[in-house]
Amino acid sequence: MIPRSRLLLGATFVALAAALACSDMVSPTRGTRYDWRLIVDYDSAGPRLDTLSFHWPRNRLPVRIWVEDSLELPSRVREGIALWKGALLYGEWDGVLVSDSATADVIVRLTQPPPQIPIRLAGRVLSCSGATDVDTVGTRFELAVPVRAYIFPTIPGAADLTQCLRTVAAHELGHTLGLFQHSSDSLDLMFSEPTARFLTERDVGTITNAYHFTADMFPVGP
Amino acid sequence: MRILPTTLALALVLPAALAGQARYGLTLGATGGTRLVTDRIFQDIEITQGLAPTVTLSASLPVSERERGGIEVALGFGKTRIKESGFPTVDGPDFKTLSITGGVQGPIISTLGWRFGAGLLKYLPEKEGIFRSGGPLLLILSGGADYRLPIRGPVGVVARLRYDYQRFNTDELQSSGFGRTQDVHRLGLGLGIEYQRP
Ligand SMILES: [Zn+2]
Repeated sequence: MIPRSRLLLGATFVALAAALACSDMVSPTRGTRYDWRLIVDYDSAGPRLDTLSFHWPRNRLPVRIWVEDSLELPSRVREGIALWKGALLYGEWDGVLVSDSATADVIVRLTQPPPQIPIRLAGRVLSCSGATDVDTVGTRFELAVPVRAYIFPTIPGAADLTQCLRTVAAHELGHTLGLFQHSSDSLDLMFSEPTARFLTERDVGTITNAYHFTADMFPVGP
Repeated sequence: MRILPTTLALALVLPAALAGQARYGLTLGATGGTRLVTDRIFQDIEITQGLAPTVTLSASLPVSERERGGIEVALGFGKTRIKESGFPTVDGPDFKTLSITGGVQGPIISTLGWRFGAGLLKYLPEKEGIFRSGGPLLLILSGGADYRLPIRGPVGVVARLRYDYQRFNTDELQSSGFGRTQDVHRLGLGLGIEYQRP
């Protein structure tokens, strides 16, 4: 027979566990966002628009990024990778620098972009600028890889050049992640003329939504 | 990480100081548990935990004719999976837990014994993901059974079954806006050796 003291101890334990066991975690609201999707004409015969979402599929991670080794641009891009990676709670995106551009998913060059291609997301800050080209390969559902981004000083030797490159690198990286529109809020990193040093709540909300929204476009290429 | 060697040293030194009839144990085992996180971003997301290899150190002293009081320090190495409707299930972040419980144990029948305890558990900081900044000190309640088989003199083999309950949260989840906590129930099985000072 089990002594009363032990029964009492067991009963106390069960009662405590039962009293505490009543809680489930509550998800945060992530309503704060801007539209990130790419809007394309898909029929030249009429004004027809298609709004398309993109994110890197999990099986393509980490995204391989080649960066031109000049003006410490690799360090700026590394900081951008950490910024975006840190915004995503579930490892939805990851990036790694590679040494051969032939094997890259994203190529970041320190130069002005070549003549206009169909879809270019360009931004400008005081002492440097950037642009990311989005090539949909003639079908709306395929994104040509490598995605190319361009970052270049507009005032060489400017005092704030390092910070400018940091901001623009993170901004262009945001485009390569799938944020294909600009925010209308000047405080956001994805504003067309960004000055933000960090991601705002709206930037975080937008990238989180983008990586859990069903993708319409898929990366195609090497 | 200073908390780990300090706790382990305490676990070993304190009972040693108290000497007589102290019983020490070392077990290796695995601990599984219920889901850690539920979330919803367009669709439901769940982080589940896999079996975590666990090493447990224990020490106890007699507190009455039949019961003993003691502590157990456990270090677990866990892995997670992230399940999201419409997306492939992928590996989530790894984690480490360190727990210390004080408890009472006694015999049920023959070489089978019971244990009830309460203590603290901490998710240690990792590089990234929901465990990036570790977690707050969580209260755990534990209960279980031990099966002892003497081998030679003061040395014996012990098999341990442990259940514990915690209200899970991490600093990263809190700063991301998650409210309340998640009930987590864990069950572990371990096998090891015990030494009892005569
Ligand atoms: Zn832009």
